[in-house]
Amino acid sequence: MKKENLIQKWLDHDLNDQELEAFKQLDDYNDLIKLDAEIGGFKANSFNDDNALEHIWTTINSTKKKPIKLLSTLSKIAAILVICFGIYFYTTTLDTTSNTLASQHKSLALPDASQVELNAMSSLTFNKSNWDDSRKISLEGEAFFKVAKGKQFDVETSMGTVTVLGTQFNVKQRTNFFEVICYEGKVGVNSEEKNITLLPGDTFLIIDGKYIATEKENLKHPSWLDHKSTFKSIPYREVIAEFERQYDVNIELKNIDGTQNFTGSFIHNDIEFALKSITLPLQLKYSKTDNIIKLERE
Amino acid sequence: MSKPLKDHICEENLFSSIFRKYSKDLHDFLYYKFGSQLNPQDKMQEAFVKLWENCAKIPQDKAKSFLFTTANNLMLNEFAHQKVVLKHRKILTKNSTNINPEFLLQEKQYRAKLEKAIAGLTEAQRVAFLMNRVEGKRFKEIAALLDISTKAVEKRIYGALKKLRKDIEEL
Repeated sequence: MKKENLIQKWLDHDLNDQELEAFKQLDDYNDLIKLDAEIGGFKANSFNDDNALEHIWTTINSTKKKPIKLLSTLSKIAAILVICFGIYFYTTTLDTTSNTLASQHKSLALPDASQVELNAMSSLTFNKSNWDDSRKISLEGEAFFKVAKGKQFDVETSMGTVTVLGTQFNVKQRTNFFEVICYEGKVGVNSEEKNITLLPGDTFLIIDGKYIATEKENLKHPSWLDHKSTFKSIPYREVIAEFERQYDVNIELKNIDGTQNFTGSFIHNDIEFALKSITLPLQLKYSKTDNIIKLERE
Repeated sequence: MSKPLKDHICEENLFSSIFRKYSKDLHDFLYYKFGSQLNPQDKMQEAFVKLWENCAKIPQDKAKSFLFTTANNLMLNEFAHQKVVLKHRKILTKNSTNINPEFLLQEKQYRAKLEKAIAGLTEAQRVAFLMNRVEGKRFKEIAALLDISTKAVEKRIYGALKKLRKDIEEL
């Protein structure tokens, strides 16, 4: 038998007597036996079976509380989910509000792709979640609407409601001042003073609770979208109020009648030029310190 | 007719018998593979605890594989791939008549060489070889424990022997 085979059989503890004799005759015999004897020194530590098993049972029993822990973590997770869902549900059904500060313009899109341009110092609120059912917007201040065709679209202000079906119009609601200008389509206005339907170019204007008839408007959209405020026979105090909103300044009038009508315009991006536009026609002079502007008669 | 195997092992007696059957082999396997610095006994016990935790999912005939795989993974999680050095524990030589200083020195040198040579084996070779030589297991038994073929065990052990002898010669 070959030497290699013998060694392998020896390794497998599988030598019969005859083979063992042959194995003992090998040159490598002494070498192998020596190695084999020394290898025994690498034996793994022995351990006490019973102690080890007992230790395992103690570990298992001390971790048995785990299911309870698991349950409590599960309930924690569930609670967090409920809270998250609640917040999500609450915030999605919450009204969406958009505000502008003085001298700020903002343009926003409503859920149905209607466009709104929000003028300075204005605030607009609507509800996204039931937008499909009722297109209703609350407005404080001034905004220009380009309404996509669809169901009735309402703009509610403290001084009246504007109802349309799909047009372009501007709504301006300030203290004791309510103005709706229709640029396209038909606009219905319901206010305490009057109910009216506006056609393109028509203006609905209420100042101090009085309806004021005005000329036809020729512009395609309100001038403030072009950074310019235009007035036609509007009380001077309203012009001043608009000026304050656009430039974020305070204007003091000295011995000036705020109720006199003013026709003209001022731009929104050059305060000196704008001041001249509103003072020269009335022969006023102005003085400026920080954010306070004083107007006086010359 | 033999009783059909239980499809799970969530029963204390059955679990204990599995422990008695495999704990030593598992411990030795871990020791020969990873050495003693990672505490093979701890890992062996941890693997049995894990076996109990999962007892409902594990049929009896899969318990051994589960234990070996789990213990191996537990080790690997800690094992920083440092070299495994198994220490030779001095055993008294049987024929005490041979004791003379020269012989002792030779023996000491031989053991040092052997330690180095064993550290030089691959993990697979070392595990199979030491289970065979130290624990006196036959090829078949080792093959069953490691889930490999007898032929592969034979190859590993014979390869290990050849490498050891060659290394000791050279050192």
